[in-house]
Amino acid sequence: MSGDDTKIKQALGQSLKRSSKELEDDILLNDLVAESFALIETVINLQEELNIRLVQEDLRDVKTVGDLVQVCAKRL
Amino acid sequence: MISENERWVLSFYRTSEISGSLFFGRLARSLKAGPIQHDMTKHYADEAMHAWYWTDCLNKLGVEPLELGNAYQDQYLAAAGMPVNIMEILAITQVFERRVINQYAVHGRTHGIHKLVKSTIDRIVEDEKWHIKWIRDALKNMESEYGKDTIDDTVERFLQADREVYEKTVREHQERVGELILK
Repeated sequence: MSGDDTKIKQALGQSLKRSSKELEDDILLNDLVAESFALIETVINLQEELNIRLVQEDLRDVKTVGDLVQVCAKRL
Repeated sequence: MISENERWVLSFYRTSEISGSLFFGRLARSLKAGPIQHDMTKHYADEAMHAWYWTDCLNKLGVEPLELGNAYQDQYLAAAGMPVNIMEILAITQVFERRVINQYAVHGRTHGIHKLVKSTIDRIVEDEKWHIKWIRDALKNMESEYGKDTIDDTVERFLQADREVYEKTVREHQERVGELILK
């Protein structure tokens, strides 16, 4: 895992109040965040923490933790 | 005393204000310090107060609020997709706030409206005017970052979703909302 991926998972873990080590790449985001408004909060939190901006196309095919880490890494 | 339909409508408003408040509260917690965090925190507090106004209004009218399931705005996500950045959140909020202010205006003009309901609406509408203004100003300031066209397209996308959700809500609750429907 690259330094960026570690940083992103740490920010994600902070937002979800979980250890970044628990956040395996293949975990579905829907299993981590049960309701839509919590997912929005998580995505905004990530952008604020990492100082990036995501757009619709970035998140269109995002299903797992690994997908989300990848799109954030591209914006870093 | 009020009718069961009126009780349902006021409870619907209350549920919607609670959902708005919880949503903005979460965002206000996430955002970095700055003008948007500042205004969103007030917005969150206003929505919480509005929920309290409706709760108090219902109580003074001699009834308890009904426990309703999903709020109006919950359906937005299904219709328009999830907003993915702060600009999209402000765009969907602007569309929603316009819907709210128009709905309250129609309700406020209905014949025979109880004076307590009217005064609650008037009190809330004053805050809603500010909500629309701060969001419009914030979106304007974001044009350099996101581009005016992108912002306009996003607002349009959510306007379409809003029309869809409003029509669906009216279809589902025709008997309850009656003359409160926006033409």
